[in-house]
Amino acid sequence: MSSTALQAASLNQQREVRLSHLTLLRVFLRSLLLQASWNPQGMQNLGLAYALFPALKELYPNQDELMAAVRRHLSFFNTHPYVAAAILGGVLHHERQIARHEEPPERVLAFKAALMGPLAALGDGFFWLSLKPAVGAFCAALVPFLHAWAAVLFLVLYNAVHFSFRWRMFRIGLALGDRLVEAVAKANLPRRGVRLRALAASSAGALAAWLAIVFGQNEEASWAPFLAGGCLVVGAASYWLVSKRLSKYVVLYWAAALAVAAGAFL
Amino acid sequence: MVNWSHVGLAGLWGGLLALERRAFLQAMVSRPLVAATGMGLLLDDPQSGLSIGMVLELFYLGSANLGAAIPENDTLAATGTAAAAAGLAGGTGLSTPAMWSLAIICFIGLGPAGRFFDRGLERYSSRLAAKAALSAERGDLTRAVRQNLWGMWPVFVVFGVLTAVCALFGFLLSPVAGALPLRVARGLAWAYPAMASVAAAIAARGSHARNAALYAGLAAAAVVGVVAVYLASGGRL
Repeated sequence: MSSTALQAASLNQQREVRLSHLTLLRVFLRSLLLQASWNPQGMQNLGLAYALFPALKELYPNQDELMAAVRRHLSFFNTHPYVAAAILGGVLHHERQIARHEEPPERVLAFKAALMGPLAALGDGFFWLSLKPAVGAFCAALVPFLHAWAAVLFLVLYNAVHFSFRWRMFRIGLALGDRLVEAVAKANLPRRGVRLRALAASSAGALAAWLAIVFGQNEEASWAPFLAGGCLVVGAASYWLVSKRLSKYVVLYWAAALAVAAGAFL
Repeated sequence: MVNWSHVGLAGLWGGLLALERRAFLQAMVSRPLVAATGMGLLLDDPQSGLSIGMVLELFYLGSANLGAAIPENDTLAATGTAAAAAGLAGGTGLSTPAMWSLAIICFIGLGPAGRFFDRGLERYSSRLAAKAALSAERGDLTRAVRQNLWGMWPVFVVFGVLTAVCALFGFLLSPVAGALPLRVARGLAWAYPAMASVAAAIAARGSHARNAALYAGLAAAAVVGVVAVYLASGGRL
């Protein structure tokens, strides 16, 4: 190693490249604003640069290096907003190495490019298409019993998973960098998602039956059981119509018109 | 008579939840069940909010923000419909299934309408991104990254105003709703469970479960069976 390189290495060792806990907390909190300026060109690029900025300022006291760092994070970025925490942690892991001149800046760009797509698919599949429908349908099914507390329960159940996942992924990304993929794989999100989807479908069916029975009971006329049965038939027909790609708005208005006509003329 | 403090509160809640949905947190406070219930509580009509929130939660259960696709705005549909229902209840003194049905029928179109506004707001965000890139080129990094925050105020204003307008329409519609013939009011009352059944079916379909129809059917059959046994043994619901 040449004497200049040795000098540079010794200078880098002296330089503070650690990130304080306060800065890490600021980055995490700012990551909650990741989508504030979502745009079709760069998507979450502004949000990412905004979240990373306090850490980049600490890592790069030199203005030129800081400018280069901000610019590389103003490029296209898009992933699921929750799993973005893992990427954010990983980006900080790489930026620390870059600040120590232990790896080239291209590594962090490659890291983002490699992970944002697969992690987005994982986050969409688990959070948007499994956890959210499951907790939503389950808590909606509890409305007849818990009333407004069902909405509180929804927030508690969902966010217990959401925030713990987000914070844990941020820490894992920060500690492991590229190896965070193994940690995410261990969480086994796709298998859990399948169970949650079954819960969502079951809750919706149970609630439909319960509402039909309760409204049938509230009608005092002798044909009240037919009203309850009619609601269930409407539900089953709607499922079939929607599966035939008929607009859900058309189906809703069709059912409303049918019920209004029945109520008015029977 | 229009309750202007309710109109203002509806606008504030609608604007804040639009931010939560799109720009900040995404902790699901903006989901229909929570958004509409919160609106009902704020406007002194929790029953309307909860009943509308439950139906719309199911109706929009399968909608998701995947990639660059913009889904229907379930939050605007929920806050706008709940605000209008509270306005109807305030004007008529009635918080009944007929009023909830009327509100849903008149305001559920806010879902697709909200998507239109979301698209418009994206154009504004694109301008901010270009401004950020320019600021970074000039070396003004703080200004560049702060552009991210400027993306929020139009979301708050646009959706806040839309929700307030819905609350106002609720009050304005209340004389018409109060004058509905009894037969139509009874039909509208029937429409509520019918729409709830449709929403539940759409939810089962939107659950993305592989055997969704089977799970939903089995659960419905189990509920019917348990209730039938309970009623047969002399119980009352």
